Order: sequence, then C-alpha cells, then structure tokens
Amino acid sequence: MHFLAPALLLGIFAAAAPYLIHRIGKRRALAVRFAAMQLLLRCERRVHARRRLREILLMLARTAVAASLPFIFARPFAEQATDLPVVTLDAQSAVIVLDDSASMQASTSTGTLFGRARARAQALARQFPSESELAFLVTSAGAPPKIGELEPDRARVVEAIEATRCSFRSADFTMAMRQASSILAASKRTHRRIYLFTDLQATGWEDGAGLPLVGPPEVVVDDVSGGTQLANRAIVEMRVEPSSEAGPTGIVVTAEIADYSNRATPALGVTLRLDGVSVAQGTVDLPAGGHARKRFLHSLPVEGSSSHDLTVEIDGDGFAVDDRRSVHVEMARTLRVLVVDGDPRTIRNEDEAFFFETALQSGVPGAQLTTKLPDDVAAEALSGYTVVALLNVGRPSTALASALERFVEAGGGLLLTVGDRIDAALWNERLAKLLPQPLGLVRTAAALPGQHGGETVDDRPAERLLPLDRRHPLLAAFPEQGDGLLSARFFKYMLVDPVRDTGVRNVILRYESGAPALIEREVGKGRVMLLTTTVDREWTDLPIRTGFLPLMREVARALVGASDEDDAATLLVGEPRLLSVAGDVQTLEITRPDGSVWIGKREQAGAGQSLAFLGTDQIGLYRVRAAGPDGTFVRQPTQDFAVNLDPRESNSTRLAAEKRPDRIAVSSAGAKPPKHRVELWHGLAAGLIILLLAESMLSLRWRRLAAVEDVPEIGPPSSP
Amino acid sequence: MLAPVDLARLASLAVRARNIVEGALSGAHRNLHPGASLEFTEHKEYAPGDDIRRIDWKAVARTDRYTIKRFENETEMRALVVLDTSASMGYRRTSVSKLEYASYLGAALAYLVGQQRDAAGLLAFADDTRALLPPSTRPGQASELFSALEKLQPMGAANPSRAIDLVGEICDKRSLIFVFSDLLDCEDDPKASPAARGPLADRLRQLRARGHDVVLFHVLDPDEIELPFDDLIFFEGMEPGDQRTLLAEASDLVHAFREESERFRGRWRTTCLEARVEYRFARTDVPPAELLHAFLTERMGRR
Repeated sequence: MHFLAPALLLGIFAAAAPYLIHRIGKRRALAVRFAAMQLLLRCERRVHARRRLREILLMLARTAVAASLPFIFARPFAEQATDLPVVTLDAQSAVIVLDDSASMQASTSTGTLFGRARARAQALARQFPSESELAFLVTSAGAPPKIGELEPDRARVVEAIEATRCSFRSADFTMAMRQASSILAASKRTHRRIYLFTDLQATGWEDGAGLPLVGPPEVVVDDVSGGTQLANRAIVEMRVEPSSEAGPTGIVVTAEIADYSNRATPALGVTLRLDGVSVAQGTVDLPAGGHARKRFLHSLPVEGSSSHDLTVEIDGDGFAVDDRRSVHVEMARTLRVLVVDGDPRTIRNEDEAFFFETALQSGVPGAQLTTKLPDDVAAEALSGYTVVALLNVGRPSTALASALERFVEAGGGLLLTVGDRIDAALWNERLAKLLPQPLGLVRTAAALPGQHGGETVDDRPAERLLPLDRRHPLLAAFPEQGDGLLSARFFKYMLVDPVRDTGVRNVILRYESGAPALIEREVGKGRVMLLTTTVDREWTDLPIRTGFLPLMREVARALVGASDEDDAATLLVGEPRLLSVAGDVQTLEITRPDGSVWIGKREQAGAGQSLAFLGTDQIGLYRVRAAGPDGTFVRQPTQDFAVNLDPRESNSTRLAAEKRPDRIAVSSAGAKPPKHRVELWHGLAAGLIILLLAESMLSLRWRRLAAVEDVPEIGPPSSP
Repeated sequence: MLAPVDLARLASLAVRARNIVEGALSGAHRNLHPGASLEFTEHKEYAPGDDIRRIDWKAVARTDRYTIKRFENETEMRALVVLDTSASMGYRRTSVSKLEYASYLGAALAYLVGQQRDAAGLLAFADDTRALLPPSTRPGQASELFSALEKLQPMGAANPSRAIDLVGEICDKRSLIFVFSDLLDCEDDPKASPAARGPLADRLRQLRARGHDVVLFHVLDPDEIELPFDDLIFFEGMEPGDQRTLLAEASDLVHAFREESERFRGRWRTTCLEARVEYRFARTDVPPAELLHAFLTERMGRR
C-alpha cells in the first residue's frame, strides 16, 4: 500500500482523542448529590454489563473514526497489474477514442468487439488518477464528439461511454484522431494521451493518422480484436437490372460477395428474397480473399404493387451485419409508345417508322405502339403514352411542341430522329426547350477510298461510330466490340451546334468524325434523346444491323424510366434520402427498420419539392407514408428505400504495422506488465461513514454535554 | 390548593399549615381519632370537623352554644408527628425539599389536631433525636411545634429505629402517630422480598401491636421516582459518611430506576399492609392540601 500524502499519517495520533475526551468528559460530568443512591446502584448493577459493552464499542468506533480520517486524507492506494493499456499512475489529460464503426459489431466468443472495447474503455476511465481530465470521442464518420472538452469528472465520462452504442457507420479514424489532438492541444499538462480502443481495421485510416508529425500527444492503441483478422464474408454490392430474358418484368439481381480471410468457402449459400419471401437460392464458391458473383434471374409479379424489396443473404458468419443487402425497386411502367411518322410511305419497308416499330415490337415484349401522322396528334392525348417518338417530323406545330414540353416535364420520354424533311431552324425555335443541342447542317459522309468497300450492297461513302463507352447504362448490354453497332454505316447525319455543358446533357454515341450520333437530355422529370440520323435506310444502314433492335429497346426503356432500380432508393448508412413532397403532401412519415418513426413537414422543404431525410443510421428497409391536408396517411411505396452497410466496413483487413498510430510502447509478452493505481480511500471513506452511523446509533441514547462547567451542581440547598 | 413551591412563599409555617388544612377540609370533616368509650368526661365547644351527631342539644339550649360531648378516649387522643430529618430528606431540585414538604404536612396535621383540642407532639430525628415535643393540649403547644419544625435542618444519617423506640417511651397511651420519612436506606437487601425488611419495619409492627394508630407518609422527590436526567452525571450520596458514587449516563438508567423505585414503594406498601400501618405516598410536587384531603376523606370514610 502506498500513500499520496504520507505526512498526513501523523494525524493517526488523533486516535487518542476519543479516549482523552472521554477522560476529560468524565471529570466534567455534572455532579449531583442524590438521595436515592441505594436505588440507583441497584439498577446500575442490572444494566452495568450492557452499558459497559456499549461504552467499549462506542470508544472503539470513535477511535476508529479518528484514526481513519488521517488515513483517508493520506490518500492510500495500491498498485495493481492490469491488462489495460499503459501506465496511468500519473495525472494526465487523456482522450478516450472508442471505435463505434460497424465493423465493431463483429461477434467473438465473449461478445461483440464493441462490447469489449466499451468495457475496457470504462475500466480505463475509472482507473485514471482523480486529478486527470478526460474527453471522449467515437470514430464513426460524422459522429459529433461525445465529450469534446477535457472533463475532470470521470464519472461523467464513464457514463458517456456506457451510453454509447455501436453504429452502422463507417469509421473515420483520421478525423477522430485529429479532433483528439486538437482537444489535447489546449491542455498544459505534460502527459497528454489518446487511448484508442479499436479492432485496428485498415478501413478509416486512408487519410492518415490525423496526428501532428512530432510531439505530443502520445497514442496508446488497445486492439480489442486480439491481434487476429476477422474471417469475414460479405455481400459488398448488389445490383438489380431489367432483363428481358425473364419476360417483361424480368430482372437480374447480381450480388458480389467478398471474402476477407485466408480460407476458401465452397458452396456458400446465397438466398434471394422478394418482399421478405425467399424466391431463389443458390450457392457460390468463394475463393480465399477473393470475390465471387451470384446472379439471380427473376420475374417480378405483374399484379399488385409495382414496388418491391429485394434482399440477398449469404450464410451467416461472425459479422452478420454485412451478410445481407437490400434494394428497393420500382417496376418499370408499361411501354406505351406514340410513333409520329413524319415520312409515311405506302411501301411498308420504306416507311420512316417501319424499322423502329419492328424493333420495339420484337425487342420490348408487351410494348404498345400507336402510329400517327403529325397532324393527327392531339396534344391532350399525349398523357396516355410513356414515350413519344418523333420520326423525321419536318415541321412540328407549335401546339405539338408545347404539348411535348409538358409531356416531358411531367416525366415522359421523347425520341427525336431526323431526316430530309427536317426544318432545322424551325426545330431549333419550337423545340428549343427539348432539343439536347440545336440542329445544324446535314453532313454527308466523305468517301474514303477502300474504306468500307464490300461490306454492304450500298457502297455510298459512310462513317461509322466510335467505339462504345459501355459505362453508359444504355450501352452496358452491348458486347465490348459493339457488334451490330460499330459495323453500321452512316451516309448522312445532322450536325448539332455546340452548347455549354450543363450536366443534364450526355452524348451516348459519336460518329467517327466526333459528331454526336445519340444525345440525351433530362428535362424536368422526363428525358429526351436525339438521334442525328434516320431510323430508316435513307441516311444509314443501322436499321438493318443487328445492333439496331437492342439499341432501340434500350433507348425506349431509358426513355420510359425503365431502369428497375432507383439509385436514390438504395443508400449507404449515413447518406441523405431526398423524399418528394410534391402535390398536396403535407407530412411524410418514415418508419425505420427498428420501428422508430420520423415525421417530416412540408415546411421543412422550404420552396423545394423534396425533404432531406438524414436519419439513415440503420441498415434495412425504410417505409414511407404521406399525409395530405386532411392528415390521413397513405403508403407511398414508390418512396421506400433501402440502406446498406458501407462495403468498406466489411473489409476486415488489419492496419499494417507501419501505419499504426501508436506512439508509446505497448506492453508485450514477457515484459513487466503495466500497473494501475487502485485508490483505496473511497472504500475507507465508505467504511468511515458506516463507522459514523454505528457511532450515532450507539450514542443515540448517550449524548454527552462536554461543556458542563457552567451548570450549577444540583443537590440540597446549603441553607433552607 | 397551593402547590408546595407556592406554600413555601407564605410567611410562616403556621400560615402554611392553616392554608393546607383549609384547602384540605373545604367543608365539614370528622375527628381524626374517633372515641370508642361511652364514659362521658366533658363538654367541648363544637369545632369544624366534629361529628354533629355528638352535639349536646340540651347544653345548646341552656348555653346557646354548640357544645359536643366528649368521651374518655377522645379526651385522651394524642397525636405525634415523627419526622425524619436526615440529610437525604434535604434533596430537592424543582420542588421543595422532602423535609420541607414533610414539615408542611406535619404542621397541618398538628394544626388540625390542635383545632380539635387534642394533644399534638413532635419528634424529629436523624441519627439522633433533633427535636422532641411531647403531645400536649396546653396553650402555645402549636406555636412551639411550628417553631420547632421551622428550625429543622436536613443533616446526618437516618436512624428511624431509635426514634421509633423513643416513641414507645413517649406515648404510653394509645396515640395517632404520623411518621414522615423517605425510607431510603431503611431496609435490608430486598433480594426478591415482596416486603421491606429491617429494623424500621419491625418497629412499626411493634407500635401497631401496642395499639397505636400509625400512618406512614412516604415522602419522595419526583427525581427519586422518575430520574429525569439526560446527561452524564456523577451521582454522590448525600448523607455523612456515604461514599457511594456513580458516574453514568442517566438516560441509560432511567427505565431501570423507575422500575426499582416502583418496587421500592411497593415493598413498603406491602410492609405497611402486613403491619396494619396506613401507608401514604407523598410526592413533593403534589399540593399538600390535596394529599391531606385524600387522607382525611379516606380516613373518615372508614368510620
């Protein structure tokens, strides 16, 4: 046992005080000359033993109280070996950093890594000398400091650690360490330390240690993973794409599964769930430390809701959080196409719309096509279609142009193709709000000797397309060589005037000359695509190439918003979700995966039409309901969304030794273990309180008056 | 009825005695010692307290005075106040001392007896006889008795046996004897005995056996009944040569002391009952007149 202030032990002589007071008090006792001494002595004999025992106990209690006071003030403590990090015998400024990122939810035989880290952090906080000051941070990205200033009250820090729960967010150690360094920079103490409790996952350290290059603070890392890498299998990506292979509502679900261990997993079970019901199961051979892809082909139900939740699960492991991934999909609308034929012919295969119609009817099962002449198009009838194709319509009327603008603004798709009949100036004037780029001159391809000779019967000079950029979703389905597209020849095409890039315009295909061949533009909620050549064989032989059908199919699906997966409906933890409050929606209610509810008011959206929901802290599916002015909530499945784990958290690769932020020697096996001070005065103080209570009880009926000198002696009067 | 402390403020013992008697009587009363003989001896002028059945109506017709007949026993009635004046009788704290209280009562009884033209005397004792005034009906007897009472001081140890022996010598005829004492240190070790043992108990039995009418006034201070202290007290004996001391937290002893005091009074009550001696318990904080009234009322009720 040691003492912080051993000089105060001299006060131990105060233990004699109760005895001295007793002796003095005895002399100062009130003297009474009493007649009934005989009675008094008789009853004294009866109570003597009991009274004597109580006197002795009282004397012992008081002596113990007097002796324990200097003992407590001397601040006794013991030194105890511990497995907690580093020495804490000295008062210091310390920041406890607790890793609360999702990877800490990994389970071990003794519980989760986070539970272990939290318990050790609490134990450490309790063991600091009382003169220390502490702060407390967590490492999950975007989390505010729990206790952002150095706090002398250790109990508050311990409580804050106790109240902390593991998040689903990814780790940002760099920011946490930067904050910790900043907090400690304000301290004047010699000992400034950061205590980091983590699994030492490499993820989150990408931006460095976040510490000053030299000087304090010291950093002590407590690796709660036991120094071994977690063998983890995870679904790191999930995609849902339309697939005509499985019918009009067909989808292909692709799950990418990663292994972060040195052991292969043959026949890993993978399950696809549709709206919570298992609809497909399979296996995949997962190589050690590698990736595998599992593809499910499935047809969404035509009847019922068009919104569906898709979840892929793999067989569980110690880190269950990343063993499933969800996506919310909105089934594509039925393709109803209005074809406006600007160059009708009596011979069917010479008709402007012939190849286009044929391609859609063959490529998009269930597509409903209606062909009309430009003058027959009723402006008010456009709302019945999902896509309008304006094929070589030379002079669209003002009414048609206005109707098309409203149609696209409201979410419709518009395909514009050109030809000999086009009045470019009139188009640029009437369709200015729709055209991706203003039309220019018609270019006729120059002949290059022997360039394309012998490929087709048509030996006119022609250009071809530049290699495909398959990063665009529309071209993703084409083979890399672009078979059927790159072989197409373009004899004529219409140039477009350059415009400033606004981000809503995208060139999908280009000719060899670099001129745009297919351009897309977003207008309002809808989309416009401009093909700068014909869809019959007048300017190109594309319609008779094998790539024409899939190109028209993908164009149509893109225009109709046919992508089955709404990217915004699948988020990572912590990403905001924009929710529409269009129309008369006044209130939105979001039910989180754990059942808790968030309410958003339209007023929060300000002048906009969307509310930002920031509470995506849980993984799983979020349900949305909306209420109008009458306050009645109605489900809005189209606004539902899924939140998944950041795949970086699944990567259990440990931080390389040379990148560890440790700045103090960590005890190693065989070395003298660090010692912690266990202060004993708390227990002694508790014992003192018990002693005082005992003394109070004993003396309850034995209260003494020390100052009795002024009290007159009682007895018979000296004179009557 | 005046409280003892209020009585103490009155000028003289005679006044106090009269006040007590007036308060106690507050109406007609009877003679303390009724005669048993039918042999007429003399007439006596009626005085309050006399039995009106004994008024001699013929004499009243002749003399126009209320006269009662006196018989042999009545004329020979003698009352003796025997008073313990040992040092322990001097204890007081909030009220008058036991000696003062006993003096008031003794004086009142002597006054009452004198009013009835009976003989009253005084024997004050401690370790020795302090005052002796044989019963007499002579004029001035009362004032002498009051004066003797007023001069008494508490001192010495009590030796009641010797005083009682002296009573036997003084009272050769049947007498009414009032004994006032705190009876402290007047009994042998009780040892589970229901009655007090010792010389005093024996002497009282002897007096009764000789035909005396004995009334024992057991005078105690409230402190000797309740021990109302709450401090660390150093108790010392009061009587000369008493070396007994006790240092104790009084509150520790209160309960046991009250029980002991109760048993102490009980033993003497039993002793008196066995010896056919009338036992009267007298607390010094009770108005003497109240005590005297109860005594007289009870005594007349027995006639």
